[in-house]
Amino acid sequence: MSVLETPRLYFTGQMVWDPIVTNNYQEFYNEVTCDPAPPNDPVADFRQRAIAAVDPRNWNPHGTHRSTFLAEVSGVDVGSGLDTSDPVVGAPASFLGMLVDAEPYGTISSQLFFDSMQFGIAGGCRLTCPRTFRVMSRYVNFGRNSYNQIKAGVASVIWQTSIPSSSLLQIDPHDSPALQALAEALASENGVIGLTVRWNTYRTIYYDDPAIISNSSPLLSQAAQALIAKLNVPNSFQPNPARSLLVGVVGLWRQGEPACEPGDRALLAQLPNETVATAFARVTGDALVLDLSNSISEVDAELTKQDLGTLSVCAMSADGAKVAKVLGSLPYKSYDRCSYVATSGLVTLPLSAPDAELAATAPLQLRSGSLVYLAEEVLRAAPSTQQNIYLNQTDAAVEAELQVLSFGAPAGAGVTVSRYDWDGTTATLLDTAQTGPDGVASFEVAPAAAGAVLPYLFTAGSEAPAPAQLDPQLTPYIYVRTLPADAEIGAMDPSWDNVYANVLAKWNAMAPCMDNWLLLDQPAQVRAYAAMLRKLTDPAAFEAYRFMPVTRDMTEGERTLLYKFLDAPPEPAAKSFAAQPTAAARPAGPDIERLNRAMRGG
Amino acid sequence: MIRLQATPPSNVDDAIAMLQTAIGIEFGTLPPYLYAKFSILPGANPAATERLNMIVGQEMIHLCLVCNIVNALGGTPRLTAPVYPTTLGDIGPPGGDPLVVSLLPFGPEAMAQGMAIEEPEEVPPYKVVESLMATGGAMTIGQYYALVDAFLATLPPSAWTAGRNQITDDQFFAGQLFAVDGYDDAHMAIQQIVSEGEGSKDDPLDFQNELAHYYRFGEIFYDKVLTKIPEDPGYQWGPTPLGVDWAGAYPAIPDPGSHDFSQDSEAAQAAQHACNLAYSGMIDALQKAVNGAAGELGAAVRKMFELRMAAMAALQVPLADGQVAGPSFVYTPTGPGASS
Repeated sequence: MSVLETPRLYFTGQMVWDPIVTNNYQEFYNEVTCDPAPPNDPVADFRQRAIAAVDPRNWNPHGTHRSTFLAEVSGVDVGSGLDTSDPVVGAPASFLGMLVDAEPYGTISSQLFFDSMQFGIAGGCRLTCPRTFRVMSRYVNFGRNSYNQIKAGVASVIWQTSIPSSSLLQIDPHDSPALQALAEALASENGVIGLTVRWNTYRTIYYDDPAIISNSSPLLSQAAQALIAKLNVPNSFQPNPARSLLVGVVGLWRQGEPACEPGDRALLAQLPNETVATAFARVTGDALVLDLSNSISEVDAELTKQDLGTLSVCAMSADGAKVAKVLGSLPYKSYDRCSYVATSGLVTLPLSAPDAELAATAPLQLRSGSLVYLAEEVLRAAPSTQQNIYLNQTDAAVEAELQVLSFGAPAGAGVTVSRYDWDGTTATLLDTAQTGPDGVASFEVAPAAAGAVLPYLFTAGSEAPAPAQLDPQLTPYIYVRTLPADAEIGAMDPSWDNVYANVLAKWNAMAPCMDNWLLLDQPAQVRAYAAMLRKLTDPAAFEAYRFMPVTRDMTEGERTLLYKFLDAPPEPAAKSFAAQPTAAARPAGPDIERLNRAMRGG
Repeated sequence: MIRLQATPPSNVDDAIAMLQTAIGIEFGTLPPYLYAKFSILPGANPAATERLNMIVGQEMIHLCLVCNIVNALGGTPRLTAPVYPTTLGDIGPPGGDPLVVSLLPFGPEAMAQGMAIEEPEEVPPYKVVESLMATGGAMTIGQYYALVDAFLATLPPSAWTAGRNQITDDQFFAGQLFAVDGYDDAHMAIQQIVSEGEGSKDDPLDFQNELAHYYRFGEIFYDKVLTKIPEDPGYQWGPTPLGVDWAGAYPAIPDPGSHDFSQDSEAAQAAQHACNLAYSGMIDALQKAVNGAAGELGAAVRKMFELRMAAMAALQVPLADGQVAGPSFVYTPTGPGASS
């Protein structure tokens, strides 16, 4: 089972992105030391520079990182094709996450930290998906919307997470056959281990203006200057969220499938500029289902899909050199805009029984005559659960697991997986590992000697050539971010001056949105909210939506110093903040034990 | 049910005056809903807290949307803090008493009050609107909005000023808060407000297929999830419990604004002062925001966060009689440009 099998839900809508992007630029942030740049720049000066840089690049210095769906369930498929009459259709799809780049300078390590997502509402048809794994971005398609060249507007991205049945995943089917079918599949012992939610975001606009389609557009400069004017108003708070369209699918997650990126069979892009970007395929009984959600470009502002004519889906010879059989054709209407939105980019090609049997074991290609758009990489590795790994400099090494798939199914034992270091120009072999019986190979990931953000690339099979580059369309990869120990900061005297200068000023500079909740330069407020700050910065809450700092770049030394300050007896000046409970005050009431717990901060 | 007395507006000034009343109602619901929410013990009643959070958030959106309409019509929205208990302008049923809205701690009484405020009308709203347009008289909030909406539909495009002092969703409430640049936007805003508050006679779902406020309060009141059923009338309360624990709340007094804190400890008085300071700061920032300084919305949110923290502190300070008090929601201007 996978999202390419049935039952599944489709959803469509928009996604709103509100990241602070100041840390994307070296002039403002050092991703190795995790410090603002230049270090010790006064907060007011830093903020002003960040505002000045809005034109043309730094488009959202007042962002919050919050990212949310405005979407609804748009259809279902329980095995007989698209159905828009199921009662769950029209139900809201709800998601709220924090968008964070593991590698701040880059664009291919984005992730969404969230607590739960939901399709439907309580009391009606509903699917409640608590977080087990972050939502990861994969297979960035830099050629998706070439008409829309503003910032990341040109690109589309696959986002995915999976929710184990063993978690608090809850399905309330009521009268929805689709949800009933999902529940039954989860209850079966057929290798189904949970649900996968996958969606594709595309056609991203900035400044709420779809007419701004170029980084050199005068319209962009006008909009940026208008934003700068708003940002320069004292006490202002002016986020500038970007907005994308999305299509998505919820389906079954089976044993051996990566949790946070597509499994199945990867049909890799073959032409430059992602003329047709990497897709995924699965033979499901009497059909081949293709996930083209990230693959076909929109060529204009009306979102017309690129017309590539009728495409052929071919079963190839074992070496991929010859067409063994044309399995079927995809006319334009099967991948045009209407079809794309209706089934979230999934295209079903009926197969005869012999063809299905052939397709299960022959490499697949998507072609137009002799022009090959997509070709299957039969043996492929994918991170099982962790695409972005965070480590502290003093941490012990952790294991990263790579699931190797062969024709979309877990490979057996003895497949060689190679790990490469990538320095931006050259891939250097680091080590290899062999898969176990479940097709999983493990690699030890140790923290870097100091702060660093390093990608590792992977190949599957002993004959696989080294990756030519880190191409998110082609290359399996993970990012490892090591936060420096900052032991000297941790050893400092926990005076306010030290805590502010070495810990809090960083986020006070980088994240002006914090002014809406807590003035980080006010010791009385910081002390008043000590319990909350400890709770929100606790490493145990690292995966939570509300974890602070959102950017996950507080070093051990910084945390140590902050906690020493928060735990120290309050200085007399700190009592000026009026909302202080008195330590001796105990309310009488019907439930003293609970009230006491509440007084300790809940 | 809030019943209002109104006659069909005959000009833009009339419509603005009616919308100003609506602003007072939308704003006036926030303190009682917040009082109930704040008084829930930390960690207790998560499902009820989630529902109250949603209601409070949507009331804030409604407030901003009505302000957007007033601004688009050339008016100047005013935020006037009610003194609780208050009627919020309710005239009551024929021959009956108006609904008195109090600050009540989390409990059945507070939830029943929420249901009473949000209670939907009995008849399809637009049929009622047609008859009311001819006669005027007493009406629910939904009917009241419909009356305004019907008049706004008659205005020429020149009556609207696009982009005037609008609060949009780029700061908060993504996708739910939008500029009112003309009648179509105003109509959508009114539909959203009415739909989210009351739902409709035959359907508890609002325009986004979420439960309307009346039913959210009902879920808490009955401690039952409003559940879809195949037979008429299509829904029932339960059988699944929502998981309400009425004991999971502070023993807070009602309407602390009416309480004489001079007999209580200095700590209790200081806690109330902190609450009122934060509340007043929030109103003043919000007033500036809806009058064109949209950036002040962030300051309003910070003050609201401060209010929440101050309320948490206040609810832990015993009064002389052993109970506690949440925020009084008493407004005092905090500086120039403050609300009046």
